[in-house]
Amino acid sequence: MKLLLAEDEQELSRVLCAALKLQGYEVDAVFDGAAAVNKAAVNAYDCMVLDIMMPRKDGITALREIREAGCMTPVLLLTAKAELDDRVNGLDAGADDYLTKPFAIRELLARLRSITRRQIAFTPARLTIGSVVLDVEQQELSCVNAIRLSRKETRLMELLMRNEGKSLESADLLHSVWAEEKEEDPAVCFVYICYLREKLQSVGADLTIEGKQGGAYRLVRGGGPA
Amino acid sequence: MESLYGPYAPFLPKVAEDVETKILAIGEAERERTGHGVIEHVRTRIKAEESMREKCLRRGFEPSAYSALREIHDSVGIRVVTRFIDELFLIADRLRELPDTRIVSEKDYVRSAKPNGYRSYHMILEIKEPFTDILGRTPGGWIVEVQLRTIAMDTWASLEHELRYKQDVANERLIAQELKRVADELASCDVSMQTIRNLIHAS
Repeated sequence: MKLLLAEDEQELSRVLCAALKLQGYEVDAVFDGAAAVNKAAVNAYDCMVLDIMMPRKDGITALREIREAGCMTPVLLLTAKAELDDRVNGLDAGADDYLTKPFAIRELLARLRSITRRQIAFTPARLTIGSVVLDVEQQELSCVNAIRLSRKETRLMELLMRNEGKSLESADLLHSVWAEEKEEDPAVCFVYICYLREKLQSVGADLTIEGKQGGAYRLVRGGGPA
Repeated sequence: MESLYGPYAPFLPKVAEDVETKILAIGEAERERTGHGVIEHVRTRIKAEESMREKCLRRGFEPSAYSALREIHDSVGIRVVTRFIDELFLIADRLRELPDTRIVSEKDYVRSAKPNGYRSYHMILEIKEPFTDILGRTPGGWIVEVQLRTIAMDTWASLEHELRYKQDVANERLIAQELKRVADELASCDVSMQTIRNLIHAS
């Protein structure tokens, strides 16, 4: 799992990074709100931890901008103890949960597990990019034409659409889509990318999946027939 | 009663046979080139006079040999069924290159399916044949409609045909909705099989 940590206190950041990495998270650490917004715009994260009191852009402003850019990644806010307004404003700005400083690392880890678990259930039923629509429940991809997708194709397409323009590593996709199949051949990811490429083309979608076998893939606008 | 097709009636099966031969030759040339036959089967039919008469009226034309042969384009119909999607487009490409053939129009219901889910590639051709046509030209230009589709598209179309011509189907709306769904599922299989085939041949 890939996590973005925005915390300006160097010492706390260092401790959190160590604890998170120990749990198997891949962590990108930044130290102000503006850097968090920039990172979130180019990378696909499974969750984000944002401190509210940060230089160059506070955590709530950063979160608001991240949400306005269409990012649905679960976010946990770190708030100071006394600030009720921060907690309310933070949740209203699109945070999924908050934790009041000081906190126990075990609780942070449990809350991260909780918000990433919930993410799957909260995915919207329809994702739209330009004129391309993915109906997640019906497993239907449509543009000029409509086509049915398999369950795995739908999940993969959903990840690509939720992270439009961002690079997604084969290994991460394999981990999210084929989590239950421990013995899966890593080449399966490429085969499914091929299915989706042909299916995007067959519905006349103006979207392209960039990337080579084994590398990172990226869904971008343009390149199609529409 | 005189035939709706008038004195041209005896030539229609000959036109159909000639086009069928040309299409089968395309398939054979492709088999020699790649080792894979691209055509599953070809079927031809001459439109029955009754349904031609009905179609003329429906389209607002006087039922006459001229209407049947020039205004309506499917007096001679040829259906070409392939196994894979790429083969269907390959045959369409080859048909465009045929000598003595003019493309009147093309409709791509594969890339842009009809709202009910129908998929097929339609081409209207005017083929030069030695027989004098209704415009008095020798050799004449004879209009034929070619429908290109995969086996899956063909099977679906025959099912849809059964729905369309059966009276009082129970739950007709639901059945139509399910037909649309299954059309999109079959399209998905067609595309997946094409993808797998491309992967096999890429390595």
